Amino acid sequence: MASPARFWTRPWVKWASIGLFVVLAVVVPLLLPEFANQTIARIGVFAVAVLGLNVVMGYTGQVSLGQIFFVGVGAYATAYGVNAGWNIALVFVFACILPAVLGLLVALAAARLGGLAIAMVTIALPLVGLPLAKRLSDFTGGSQGTSARFTDAPEWTGLYDDQWQLYIVILIGGITFLLTRNLVRGKYGRAFAIVKGNEAVASSMGVSPYRYKVLAFTIASLIGGVSGFLYMVVIQYTSPETLHFGHSIELLASMVIGGAGSIIGSLLGGAWYVLLPQITNLIDPNITAMLQGAILLVVLFILPGGLVSLPRLWRRRGGGDHGARGGGAAGPGQRTDAAASSSAAPAAPAIQAAPAVPGDAAADPPPSPPMQS
Amino acid sequence: MSTNRRKLRVASVVAGIGIVAVLAAGCSRGGGTPNSTDDGAAEASPGITDTSITLGITTPLSGPTAGPGTCTVAGITAYFGAKNADGGVEFGDGKTRTVEIEALDDEYDPQKAKANYDQLKSSVFAMTAGLGTPTNRAWREAAIADEVPQALIMTGDPIFSDAEESPWQLGFVPIYQNEGQAFGELLAGSSEDHKVAILSQNDDYGEGYVEGFKKGIEGADNIEIVKELTYEATDTTVDAQLTELAGSGADVFFNAMSITPLVISSLQKTQELGWLPSWFLPSNTSSPSAILEPGGAAAFPGVYTVAFAQSAAAPTFADSEEGAAFLDQLKEYANYPDTPAFPHCVWSYQVGATLEQVFAKMTEPTRADFMEQLRTISGYTAPLMLEGSTVDTTVDGQPAVSTVQVQKYNGKGYAPAESWGQ
Repeated sequence: MASPARFWTRPWVKWASIGLFVVLAVVVPLLLPEFANQTIARIGVFAVAVLGLNVVMGYTGQVSLGQIFFVGVGAYATAYGVNAGWNIALVFVFACILPAVLGLLVALAAARLGGLAIAMVTIALPLVGLPLAKRLSDFTGGSQGTSARFTDAPEWTGLYDDQWQLYIVILIGGITFLLTRNLVRGKYGRAFAIVKGNEAVASSMGVSPYRYKVLAFTIASLIGGVSGFLYMVVIQYTSPETLHFGHSIELLASMVIGGAGSIIGSLLGGAWYVLLPQITNLIDPNITAMLQGAILLVVLFILPGGLVSLPRLWRRRGGGDHGARGGGAAGPGQRTDAAASSSAAPAAPAIQAAPAVPGDAAADPPPSPPMQS
Repeated sequence: MSTNRRKLRVASVVAGIGIVAVLAAGCSRGGGTPNSTDDGAAEASPGITDTSITLGITTPLSGPTAGPGTCTVAGITAYFGAKNADGGVEFGDGKTRTVEIEALDDEYDPQKAKANYDQLKSSVFAMTAGLGTPTNRAWREAAIADEVPQALIMTGDPIFSDAEESPWQLGFVPIYQNEGQAFGELLAGSSEDHKVAILSQNDDYGEGYVEGFKKGIEGADNIEIVKELTYEATDTTVDAQLTELAGSGADVFFNAMSITPLVISSLQKTQELGWLPSWFLPSNTSSPSAILEPGGAAAFPGVYTVAFAQSAAAPTFADSEEGAAFLDQLKEYANYPDTPAFPHCVWSYQVGATLEQVFAKMTEPTRADFMEQLRTISGYTAPLMLEGSTVDTTVDGQPAVSTVQVQKYNGKGYAPAESWGQ
């Protein structure tokens, strides 16, 4: 029996699965009922937000509690541009650049502080953002919020609105995911991983922790802006409540649940963010908060490495050669894609040492010693 | 050679998937769920059968606004629970239907409210009773596009009562302007001259109250506004404003403030300053037990507010026939055993009663007919309404309830104030 691992690395299988994914992305919106399309689109919106958070937290190891602020700024920028009658491409650029610039400014100051201080600074963002959004009513519509309905399906497509919106989300979200994947698997990703693992080691190798922290934070803000644009594509309304600090925490929880430092994990995190309230609403709308807390705890107990570690748990159970019961995450813990790719491609000269920083992989989930060879 | 075979394989896989996909796409949506029901006029809308009708609610059931939010579901559930137990509600087309409520939690998050709406819209006949301005605004335009009624919702935002801007909406509770205006009119009717100091929250809430108040005193030459200041909703103190207003020598203080701790500290600070005017407070920040008592409001010559519904917390409430029935039904059908601390339970109950009036006029089981009949109710006194307040949905630009009664604090609770100083 050919081992499944080898099957998946065969080039034609790879290409076929990419082809399958593209075809599915094109066809699925046409097949599914309206509500499913809308739900998938919402998952896309928040998957992008979680992806941005992953760049700064999962890959670079800097705690950010302000991601929702950048999503909100992106949404407000989009609403403002649309209502001012700008070209939609310009609106999109604006919705990306504005949060990125804000993120850069904050990071320039905050990254110097290091440690938990950067987390404290990012806490301030949504806390300041919400009253600010209420106060700057000329731009934001005040506490009544602002809506921008610009994504109705054009006549010539013959599509329903929800299908059209889902296509936009798949296209923009897909490109964002692809670019981010390339980023974190390339030399920047390896630099991020070292900064996360040990800043002193990073400095000694000529990787400036400060510069890479600022870079990661700025990219995270930019991706947050993309998410904000998509937020307006799908939800078409934003208000100060969008920036509520609680949503930042929910995003953070979604990132951990999905799988920190993982591209697929970001997608799962987005799904978690959107589906958990819907599922708890199905069970009993009166106790949603309690149910969400309980489910969160259960998942974290079973899968400390996040949902993305589920297949590994399975494999371990099925294979059974190591007998690591309940240790799905105990093995490689949470594999950062960056670390994985750097070990797979040891060509990068300066950063050879990346795989030699095992703390990186086992550091932030509950510390669990790598058990197998 | 192997490269060729590989290419061939890839091509055949992709082609195979493509063919299946195109075939599948061809037969999609056609017979599936239609986006809107724009066929025959008399064909029943979603969510209604010959024996039942389903109403949807999205409202905060968890988080800081869960208290009032839970009430918005409990009241209407209690009302129709009792009706269903009696066999159902009689509709204008001669059929008797039971009314089912499907409520979802939106955590006061506009995004989740929109998701709830998306989830409910094809299975419910109409959306109703949900609490919150941003959470209702989030799907207002979608509801218009989908032609789904968003009827008798709990927000003071005037946009929902503007038939041109919001053809598929109608607010239930009075808008901010109604409250300010009612007080202004009472004050204008006073036989004495008054100087008024105004403090308002610097947003649509405060502006709405002040706008209404100014409309109420329009043309009255015995009223003079001597000072007008604002504060931000994020401020933790308004001492500076109060000191300045105290210096104006006003004998009436119109305070459009929505933040409970600020109101309490304002009541205390004003006394410290030795300034003892008559107060006006908005309906949501005038609770006798939660605000006026801790603030020591008895020191002032009068504290006025407005209301349109009886307060379930009032000592006489449970003794009245209607009040007792309300509390019983809340317990029995809505799983709400306590006496509600929020007025939203009573309001939601009145939404139920108003909807029954609309149902009685509906001759076709369609959303369009529902919206048409919704705007024809006038002079209806819903259960637990204060004398003088009625439901009137026929006036464009006004919510279903726009007539409020000014009330004066008597040291324990509120009593109706028909004229100034009483």
